[in-house]
Amino acid sequence: MRLSFIAPRKKYLFSMFTKMWIIFISFIFIFLNIFNLFVIYKNSDYISSTKELNMQRAILEKNIDETDDKISFILRQKAVAEEIYANNTILKDSIKNLFDLVPDQITLTKVIMEKNSLVIYGITPTKDTYNFLLKAPLKSIFQTSNTMFYLTKNGWYNFVSISKTLDPKEEM
Amino acid sequence: MDKSLEKIDLVKLLIYLLVFIVITLFMILFVIVPSVKEYRVSKSTYKKAFIHKARVESILLDRKKELSNLSSQNRRAITSFMHKFSTDNFIKYAGKFFNDVSLVEVSKKAYKAEFVEYELKVSTSLKSPKNFYDFLDGLNRYENIVQADFPIYMEANNSKISSTFTIKVYDINSTK
Repeated sequence: MRLSFIAPRKKYLFSMFTKMWIIFISFIFIFLNIFNLFVIYKNSDYISSTKELNMQRAILEKNIDETDDKISFILRQKAVAEEIYANNTILKDSIKNLFDLVPDQITLTKVIMEKNSLVIYGITPTKDTYNFLLKAPLKSIFQTSNTMFYLTKNGWYNFVSISKTLDPKEEM
Repeated sequence: MDKSLEKIDLVKLLIYLLVFIVITLFMILFVIVPSVKEYRVSKSTYKKAFIHKARVESILLDRKKELSNLSSQNRRAITSFMHKFSTDNFIKYAGKFFNDVSLVEVSKKAYKAEFVEYELKVSTSLKSPKNFYDFLDGLNRYENIVQADFPIYMEANNSKISSTFTIKVYDINSTK
């Protein structure tokens, strides 16, 4: 027995309108989550890249320090070498100047050169020859210059000259 | 037949719209915005790190260039310091200028932290002081860093001059 003139309508849990909204909201929710995950991924990528760059930078900085050490060592070697070469040249000039000072009339028999002193043993025909030709230039170079003469059998003089400059450290 | 699309319920529509707005705003304000802020911070940190690294790299390149220039300009000094001092070679060199060369080691001490100074006493005989000048000139081109030093003793001995002087040889302190 039929109690209604119309056929019963199928009942849905969610209407089409509700379903559309649920799908739309879910889609937006998923899309925003995917976007968020992408941002998180890019963020972590930047963080790891930054760490790697910092590590590379630290290695480069260590390299710079090592290179700087090498540069300063080369500069120190250069400075020491130049100082030594200059000292050799100065020593050569000093010895050359000393022998150039000695006139032909005077013969040197022994020379002892120290850093701040010069001892000369030699033979001179007269005291005046020594005093005028050798003592004067020695006095201009050294602060003190003392000479002792010994008369030889042939009338010439053996002499010992001790000249000194004061060490600047001693003066202070 | 579902007629929900034909007859839109305004209250439902407003409720769904409100739900949509709430969810979207919540996602944007509490999830995406903080993530984007973090992203911006890490991007700017990355850029700074990149620029810093590039600067350091360029400084290193400059230093390497400077080192290579200095090495080539001072090759002789560097190799002279590296060269091990040989008494035989020195006697051979001194023999070009002097006769009867003998060498005695006097002392060994540290010099300016990185170097070692060997002091040796050289006894020779020479014909004229010119030999000594030539020896000193050549010393600056010798295979080691050698300095002739005081005290210098010279004595006329018949036709020759007996001479005794000090040389200082500088080597790199290998213990440093």
